[in-house]
Amino acid sequence: MTTTAEHHKKIKDLHPQEGMAPGSPLCAGCGGLEGIRLALKELGDNVLVCNAAGCFTLLSVYPFTPFKGSWLYTTMAAPVPAAQGVRDALDIRRSHNRLANEDDFQVMVVAGDGSSADMGLSPTSAAIHRGLDFIYFCYDNEAYGNTGFQLSGTSPFGSATQTTPVTGEHPAGSEIRKKDLFEIWKAQNPPYIATVSPREPIDLSNKFARAKTMKGPRLFICLSPCPTGWGVDPKDSLLVAKLAVDTGIFPLKEYVDGQVIHNRIPRKRIPVEKYLEPQKRFHHLFVPKRQDDIIAKIQAGVDRYWERYE
Amino acid sequence: MLRVRFHGRGGQGIKTASQVLGTAAFLSGFQAQDFPLYGAERRGAPIVAFTRIDKEPILERGPVAFPDLILVGDETLLEDSQAAPACGADALTTLLVNSTKAPNSLKDKLNLLTMPVTCGLTKLCLKHLNAGMILSTALAAAAARLTGLIPLNHLLEAVEIELAEFSPEQLQKNLDLVREVFELLNPVVFQEREEAGLFPSKLMALEQQEVRDAAPLITATGNMNLRKTGNWRIHRPEIDYEECNHCMICYARCPEGVIKEDAEGKPEIDYDHCKGCMICAQECPKHAIKTLWEMDYEHQSQ
Repeated sequence: MTTTAEHHKKIKDLHPQEGMAPGSPLCAGCGGLEGIRLALKELGDNVLVCNAAGCFTLLSVYPFTPFKGSWLYTTMAAPVPAAQGVRDALDIRRSHNRLANEDDFQVMVVAGDGSSADMGLSPTSAAIHRGLDFIYFCYDNEAYGNTGFQLSGTSPFGSATQTTPVTGEHPAGSEIRKKDLFEIWKAQNPPYIATVSPREPIDLSNKFARAKTMKGPRLFICLSPCPTGWGVDPKDSLLVAKLAVDTGIFPLKEYVDGQVIHNRIPRKRIPVEKYLEPQKRFHHLFVPKRQDDIIAKIQAGVDRYWERYE
Repeated sequence: MLRVRFHGRGGQGIKTASQVLGTAAFLSGFQAQDFPLYGAERRGAPIVAFTRIDKEPILERGPVAFPDLILVGDETLLEDSQAAPACGADALTTLLVNSTKAPNSLKDKLNLLTMPVTCGLTKLCLKHLNAGMILSTALAAAAARLTGLIPLNHLLEAVEIELAEFSPEQLQKNLDLVREVFELLNPVVFQEREEAGLFPSKLMALEQQEVRDAAPLITATGNMNLRKTGNWRIHRPEIDYEECNHCMICYARCPEGVIKEDAEGKPEIDYDHCKGCMICAQECPKHAIKTLWEMDYEHQSQ
């Protein structure tokens, strides 16, 4: 195990300062917002965010910004090229002694799953190849949430989206499986990849504490329950995030030094339907008639994943 | 032509209200136009929707700048300078506010030219739908009644059309609600007026500017807290300090980061920014955070 001593063991160990000011127009109960809030608590103020278009466009609405550091807004496909540009600029300033080391910025891409797994994947792959020194924070709400919840590359099998509605011919909604962004990155062997949940602040903070000491491309995939798109009450947003981990649908894991480490192997995984049923996007699997075949298929996918680690 | 503007918050059914009114007008033999205006709005954020009703074909397009009738679903919007629901209201405009306050108190407070109509729609929605925040059919019924142009049967038919996906029980509850709102209000007499267009003033002359001035650069840091999102709340979390054991789970779970530890180590909620998602109440292991209606709280504090 390469994981170092855990910095955080309990809630009160979290950094007391808030990295972000409140007041953003993001939805009440946004899981992704909780994820980035916890991340910035750990990373501190010297973070330069390259933000791809998406829900988090609304983090900064002119003339307001929630960030203590800098924020650069890009098109959906271009946050990583932007990160390359600012990283290079910072490095040039440092090499000319015009930027002290302690004033340097951690360059962080913030992008949704549509940008991360679909539109922006090609320049990201190139940047990993070049070994660009940056953190990539992907808030994965499993669809194009900002535009009204259309199918993205990471929408799960069996979910209804605006572009994969449930019909007589397509009783499952989306019939294709979710892209595995973790494995896509892993194929290029970057120094660090982690999945994080907004419901697990200790695990999340320890992962950011580890990653911030490293160099090179580092990915965080944050499962981001979306009350609006997933069809859950805002108050249940983090409860759904917990169920995603407890059912084994969303494994908490890290990839360090070529090894995948599971941070939590649920000893007794609860059935996936406990996660699916409270969400409107999976409603059709239960009402008007239970679609046992589709639920079983989702369960089988999860079971197959964990067989390797149990 | 009758021009109607609906104001409310994302999730309250403002767009649906404009659609129900448009459909009801059409069924009553009028030409109708209904559409929402939204960019990046989302649940809780101010939303606006429009309906135009006329006997003749409607050639006017775009947002309604000078409405004959304004319906405000959420009274907290009245003082929101970005939503500005009373914008463009003049002596000919009727303003309906979903509120239980006295009309003259609102008139004085907001410097309105005419006496607003108030109606406690939220209470009626709670009674019929068991959900105080879904105002679509109630607002549409209020609008339809105030216009005096739409008979009840066409309004009910419009609700059935627009809520076709609802279960029969849900639909029936909405129809009962519509009936009650319709009977509660009286029609208003509207005077015909010319639409002065979207921009009554001269078009702005665009000049070449320095990139520094023209680009949306923000040089302040962390100034987002100048925007208050506290008026998004429908529910209000309130910590019962007798029960609270200072575990600070609420602080860790709050997506907005608006729960802070005070000097005595107790959690404290910043109500200027709390959006009322109620995650804190849901996650509190001691169930020490109560869920109150913001509406009731305001009344208590008066």
